[in-house]
Amino acid sequence: MTRNLATILITFIILLPLQILVFRNFVVFDMGFCFVYLLFLLMLPLELSVALGMVIALISGLVVDLFYQTIGIHAAAGILLMFVKPFWQRLNSPRSGYEVNDLMLVRTYGLGWYLGYSIPLILIYSFTVLFVEAGSSGLFGITLLKATITAFITLIFILIIQYLFYSK
Amino acid sequence: MGQLLAFLIKYRAFLLFLVLETFCIWLIVQNNDYQRSAFINSSSKFVGSVNETSRDIGDYFRLRRVNDELAAENARLRELLFSGTEEIPIDSLVKLTIDKDTTDSIQYILKPAEITRNSVQLVNNFFMINKGSKDGIEPGMGVMNSFGVVGTIRSVSKNVAEGISILNTRNSVSALHLKSDRVGTVQWDGRNPKRAALLYITPDVELAKGDSIVTSSFNAVFPKEVLIGTVDEVSRDEQNTYLQIMINLSVDFAKLSYVYVIKNELKIEQDSLMNSNPLDIQ
Repeated sequence: MTRNLATILITFIILLPLQILVFRNFVVFDMGFCFVYLLFLLMLPLELSVALGMVIALISGLVVDLFYQTIGIHAAAGILLMFVKPFWQRLNSPRSGYEVNDLMLVRTYGLGWYLGYSIPLILIYSFTVLFVEAGSSGLFGITLLKATITAFITLIFILIIQYLFYSK
Repeated sequence: MGQLLAFLIKYRAFLLFLVLETFCIWLIVQNNDYQRSAFINSSSKFVGSVNETSRDIGDYFRLRRVNDELAAENARLRELLFSGTEEIPIDSLVKLTIDKDTTDSIQYILKPAEITRNSVQLVNNFFMINKGSKDGIEPGMGVMNSFGVVGTIRSVSKNVAEGISILNTRNSVSALHLKSDRVGTVQWDGRNPKRAALLYITPDVELAKGDSIVTSSFNAVFPKEVLIGTVDEVSRDEQNTYLQIMINLSVDFAKLSYVYVIKNELKIEQDSLMNSNPLDIQ
């Protein structure tokens, strides 16, 4: 338990500055962003209450917003993600069931489960961010493309980071 | 009462969700209007200093290109100096006098600044510069670089200022087709960061690819005839009321580094005169 808490804290302390200092400048094809800090929100264990999860999402979202000059948008998307997460987790439980303390990572339940768990949540997040930012439906096609590319790149980076730093 | 309490406890997560989302939506709406400064402003001191540090590191990798640009600009200014037809003071970077017409002249003061943060991928893009109210920057001032118009200052704190870039669907700039002297509006459509639309030009104007689009003298923000871009594509719309024109922006927003903030010495005078004679808008 203490070990998990330490992992969560260290991830937060490292990932958030990484997001706002490094990955903010990292844009693929002039279109896709990389919201690598989602790894932190996604790894929070089932044990954590929904309310606390949403407050954490609000705080980290606002920090990211300050640097992306999009006040409120990332926070709103993060809160939505953290609200939907428990429901989706229950629907998509691994064959052996969850351990309440386990971190939601590839190493705990395997890649297949993690993809099923993370892809819809990342999609929800990137669609919320980009559609709220676009404001109107006038740019529907290009926003859809941007959101999809963003979700894809985010997923790739989240997986790479896990295989590099969170292996067994 | 007990039932109500039970209801609240049962759905507390959902209620908190609603409260937090409302808070976020309030923040988004607060920040929406580009002239109003929001409750949480991203041009705060801490955010500014972090951006500045991050930019300081990135600066080393850009030095070569920035040097090339500055050298090219210097060469252009030297050429102007030697051409001798107009009198331009030697310290033209600090003080540039542009004659508006023969009878009077407006004085514009350019203040150099460095971009510490910039984006091009969003639909509404903003940038941040490393000068603030301490250096005399005020909201509403124009921003340009050696290639052309960059945007307008939106909010200012002591040491940094945030600007709204041309690449922002909520920002439009009054523009002039140099050859025909027709006035239109340049507005970005949120798609390609290298191109923008020029609106409200009637079909009787003859436009050719490569024609210069410059700022008009209709606002007190930019000096007359600062380059915005060149005409790229012209087509007619269905009703044949206005031409549909795409222009190539002269500024490469992905590579912004050093800019000039334009201070119009006569802005207060112009604005107060304009406010005392309000236009009739239907």
